Amino acid sequence: MTIDRPLLAPITMGLVLSLSLSARAADPPPPKPPACPSDAASPDPMVLLRRVEQTLEGTSSVGTISMSIKTESWSRKLKMKVWAKGEDYALVRILEGGPRETGMMTLKREKQLWNYLPQAGRVMKLPSGMLGDSWMGSDFTNDDLVNGSSLTDDFESKVIGTAKHDGRDAWQVVLTPKPEATVVWGKVEMLVDRATCVPLIDRFFDEEGQLARTMVFAEIKTIGWRQFPGRVTVKPADSVRETVVSYDDMQFDVSIPDDTFSLHRLQQGR
Amino acid sequence: MLLKLAWRNIWRNTRRTLITLAALTLGCGVIIGMQSYSESAYGRLIRDLTTQMVGHLQVHGKGWQAEPSLENVVENPRIVEAAIAGSAPGAVSTRRVIGAGLAGSAQNSSGVMVLGLQPDRDDLLTVVRGEALDPAVHGRIALGSGVASMLEVEPGGEVVLVGQAADGSVANDRYTVAAVVEAGSVEMSATTVFLTLADAQDFFSLGEGVHQVIVRLPTDDEDISDHVATMRAALDLHTLEALTWAQILPELRATIDSKRSGLLWINIVVLLIVGLGVLNTMTMATFERTRELGVMMSLGTRRGRVLGLVVTESLLQGALGFVLGAVLGIGVILAIGELHFGAVSTGDMLGVRLPSTLPLHIKGSAVVGAGITALFTTLLGGLWPALRASRLPPAEATRYV
Repeated sequence: MTIDRPLLAPITMGLVLSLSLSARAADPPPPKPPACPSDAASPDPMVLLRRVEQTLEGTSSVGTISMSIKTESWSRKLKMKVWAKGEDYALVRILEGGPRETGMMTLKREKQLWNYLPQAGRVMKLPSGMLGDSWMGSDFTNDDLVNGSSLTDDFESKVIGTAKHDGRDAWQVVLTPKPEATVVWGKVEMLVDRATCVPLIDRFFDEEGQLARTMVFAEIKTIGWRQFPGRVTVKPADSVRETVVSYDDMQFDVSIPDDTFSLHRLQQGR
Repeated sequence: MLLKLAWRNIWRNTRRTLITLAALTLGCGVIIGMQSYSESAYGRLIRDLTTQMVGHLQVHGKGWQAEPSLENVVENPRIVEAAIAGSAPGAVSTRRVIGAGLAGSAQNSSGVMVLGLQPDRDDLLTVVRGEALDPAVHGRIALGSGVASMLEVEPGGEVVLVGQAADGSVANDRYTVAAVVEAGSVEMSATTVFLTLADAQDFFSLGEGVHQVIVRLPTDDEDISDHVATMRAALDLHTLEALTWAQILPELRATIDSKRSGLLWINIVVLLIVGLGVLNTMTMATFERTRELGVMMSLGTRRGRVLGLVVTESLLQGALGFVLGAVLGIGVILAIGELHFGAVSTGDMLGVRLPSTLPLHIKGSAVVGAGITALFTTLLGGLWPALRASRLPPAEATRYV
């Protein structure tokens, strides 16, 4: 059965699969990120969010990700490898999953998605009507992989105060989509860690103001200059479902050969 | 004696009686014809529905009809089928699996419904091109005609299916197109692909589980409540639900019922008009014969007999009108025999494909009903003039000019 859920925010997948959201003009890689304005009681939200984006993304990334999905009727684990370059190219390869899906690949080229289906031995382009459907049965949709949006470009943001979460001091940031932005949310509330500028919780509200989805970030670890959340939990508000993503190994700003993202290669199942 | 007298009386004004008879004949004829036609249509629709798309009864996992989900299955269809065979001798059952997926050819891809069925036991599909699915052959797929034209594939071609299996994993496989088919409705033909039950269970990782056990009873009767009650008693309704076609397609049931009651009211109005005609005729007939009736009563004819005479005259016309009407109605239905709708009927009625040909049958209950109503209306139409006639004071009546 198809899983009908509101289209999930592009921010999510940009984060989870490290598809670069904001590195539009950031080639060569930024040698030094803007400092995290830890001491400011109420920092400039643009500065803060740019730092958040640069922390979570890079010009390119390669990583190994574990994803575990729980629903009322089943739960399962997937292990995958992810390559991403800029905001237009990404490839995910399922390393471990069910017997029929190991070796499955999803290729993103600009706004289009292709799947390599190992059992069928064929590549299928995803029709636009299926973008809202779940990706690999998780709480991410295909749309999350395809569309890019940016915390700094697509939202008006405001720091409204400070709060404590999990023993950490955090800023409370409220983001509302700009009128021209194609964002499915009515509002996003974020808690951003003061010490590391890593987000701790994102709450996504629909256009009626109802909480639609919560993302919790945990296990902050250091990769190069970055502080990076090692674990992200996504929960749709109206169900018992849950998707947990763990970053086992991430490398940022590495060089990836262009043919990694070639359709021809995908068709050969390599 | 009374009958003979009445018979003579009604032919004393031949023209008037013929006009009354014509009205009665047409009334009865129309009722028999219309009702036979519409009952033939409903009968055909329900028979198609019960033999093909829906069955008389369906067994699902509890709650499936209201909220179909891939995981909600009848886990032991064999046990269910055995229970049904035991409780309803002659009933035939077949299993189906229903899921969703994405079908792709070299040209196109499209979201589809995936239906797994037992091709040797299920009459859902009509092959348009290619050959029917074979339960013993794996890796074959039949495409609804709409899906085939969307994917631009023909029998012999190849289709890839992707979907989510019941365990959450991504199901994907490649199939050879065996046939392009028409299914139970236009909508189904446009959106559904068909696999053998085993292939579909395998694709969706369902094991032995199925979503529907479809039961066909060895009857064309519309009232199946007795069969349903015994079958339901044999099933474990804590984990299963057993629904009749009328529960599965309540709109269709409601439409048939409302059309039936609409026709009933038309019949009543038709016969009311005819009844008023009879009333008029009989009033005139007794009025003309006031003197004669007065003389009869003066000579010792009892009032009851006069009443009987007039009522008999009226009923005689009713009976005659009914016989002629039945001959007319039955004759027309038999002469038409079978209606061909051709291209007109490629549509659905509330999700059910309408048949393209409709053999017409005489509905016995329509004939009986028309007979009873004809006699009833002529009885009522004749009763009032008869009462009036029988109460005439003989002395005055004989002087009536």
